[in-house]
Amino acid sequence: MSEDKQALIDDAVDKALAGDMDPINNIEDRVTRSKAKAALVKAKRAKPKTEIKSVASVIHEDSNTKSKDTIEQIVMTSLAKSFSDFLDGEQNSGWIQIKAENWFGIAKWLKENDDLYFDSLQCNTGIDLGEGMLESRYNLHSMKHLHAIEIRIKVSIEKPDIPSVESLWRVADWFERETYDMFGINFTGHRDLRRILLPEDWEGWPLRKDYEEQETYHGIVVPKVKEGWE
Amino acid sequence: MGVVHGQEMVLNIGPQHPATHGVLRLQVKTDGEVISDIKPYLGYLHRCFEKHCENVTYEQVIPFTDRCDYLASMTMNFGYVVAMENLMDIKVNDRVQHIRVIMAELQRIASHLLATGVFGLDLGAFTPFLHMLRDRERIIDLFEMTCGARLLYNYMWVGGLSHDLPKGFVEATLNFLDYFEPKIDEFESLLGHNKIFVERTADIGIMPAEVAINFGVTGPNLRASGVNWDLRKDDPYSIYDRFDFNVPVGQGIKGTVGDSWDRFYVRLQEIRESVKIVRQAIDQLPKEGDVHQSMPKKIRPPKGSIYSRTESPRGDLGYYIESDGSDTPARLKMRSPAFTALGVLNEIAGGWLMSDVLAILGSLDIVLGEIDR
Repeated sequence: MSEDKQALIDDAVDKALAGDMDPINNIEDRVTRSKAKAALVKAKRAKPKTEIKSVASVIHEDSNTKSKDTIEQIVMTSLAKSFSDFLDGEQNSGWIQIKAENWFGIAKWLKENDDLYFDSLQCNTGIDLGEGMLESRYNLHSMKHLHAIEIRIKVSIEKPDIPSVESLWRVADWFERETYDMFGINFTGHRDLRRILLPEDWEGWPLRKDYEEQETYHGIVVPKVKEGWE
Repeated sequence: MGVVHGQEMVLNIGPQHPATHGVLRLQVKTDGEVISDIKPYLGYLHRCFEKHCENVTYEQVIPFTDRCDYLASMTMNFGYVVAMENLMDIKVNDRVQHIRVIMAELQRIASHLLATGVFGLDLGAFTPFLHMLRDRERIIDLFEMTCGARLLYNYMWVGGLSHDLPKGFVEATLNFLDYFEPKIDEFESLLGHNKIFVERTADIGIMPAEVAINFGVTGPNLRASGVNWDLRKDDPYSIYDRFDFNVPVGQGIKGTVGDSWDRFYVRLQEIRESVKIVRQAIDQLPKEGDVHQSMPKKIRPPKGSIYSRTESPRGDLGYYIESDGSDTPARLKMRSPAFTALGVLNEIAGGWLMSDVLAILGSLDIVLGEIDR
């Protein structure tokens, strides 16, 4: 790599650390831009390491010595400060049940709050609870603080609308498409919500409990005999 | 400096194409040789894994997990049984744990050998591929010796294993490791420091760490981006906390941290670490212990759900299991690592040349069986 490129990268990284991302984004050469972004991440990682640890230890001290709160309780108490009326029904240890309307705001808060910092969405599972209810479950995880949490959102089968979090965690793009594909949960605000594993003209939502296969698909008979299965 | 735009053309790569590692269709927008947008179309290998699981008992799920990632069946079994044992609160004895770790790490070596070999093949290097398959064959022979199957093992069961180790397995494995360890250096010089290979991979397809985390990329792909994250260290399951091994991360030796070469190199280094773990596990392997000791007669987990993660050769393999108290799962979701790895393709490969896109796809090490399930 030539020296002036290196100087350009260093300069852009310095400015980005001060909060101005434009110099990096304006680098025309793609390779140099990627290198600059990589250097920026490296610089960010190297810098606040001690601070990160102290924040994490505060949480863990809280949970270990003072009140022995689980991570669910910590999240719930801190959520209650910023949101009102977000819980949905009875709470159980092990997960947090929230209402669909507030989900995007809460998700953004969970991702950006420094003490919680759930930067990684591990898994999104749809589930058919029966009695006309569907549920979407999110397993969040923080790479920084190494804690994990499960969020559950219940919706009725008649109006299965849940705000999409695809713009926060980009991994949710395909996760939500898969849940939509299998359960018909409509993620509002998703930029590209279409089937992912099944063909686009497939009918029905296969993982719902009341699913019945279509008779034919493009003139091909869909086999339904399940002899010798059980 | 202006940018010249030509006419855009939409081109399909696949579904049947050797570079797509299975049946995958990439719809790419090309402007001359430059790819501006990639849309993967999945589902050609969709076998309704999750729907099938709701219709079979918990024991019968294990052969299905084999068939998802057919290049790392042992670790797919491993992830499932770890999840089930956590859900049912079963403790298995040390001998079983050690045998599982030996199998999982041998499987990791086999899988990484194929991954790096095929990566070379994608770039036109045929010879390393043959060398690597030759050694992978010896690992598969070890598996065949253990459970009779060469690819789809159904070996790890909930609470135990299908068979104990056969006579002579330990000696055969040690023989293999003695033979194999010098070969790793050979692979490194044969492929890793080959000038053509370096030119095709270094600085190509750079994946910054924050992009990788945001897109849910895990495993060697994430570590190549410089993030020290390995479930065997950071959230130890089974008995991984008893072994001494390092987590290799990308350092950008030939170019930038997180480029295709780093992804290749991290896998090669992981092979070395896996060899270390297998040696330690064989060393500590308890002589006594019935491999069927903790196996429940009937698997009926209590009501509840669990999300359990293990480190498969391709990354975080998660199983979400919801039990309603009966002997079939109410819902079983597999969070497949290759699924998320493919999701990042458009982000890191857009803007590169056509030939580079295939190199980047090869460096991500995807298995379509696991993506489509």
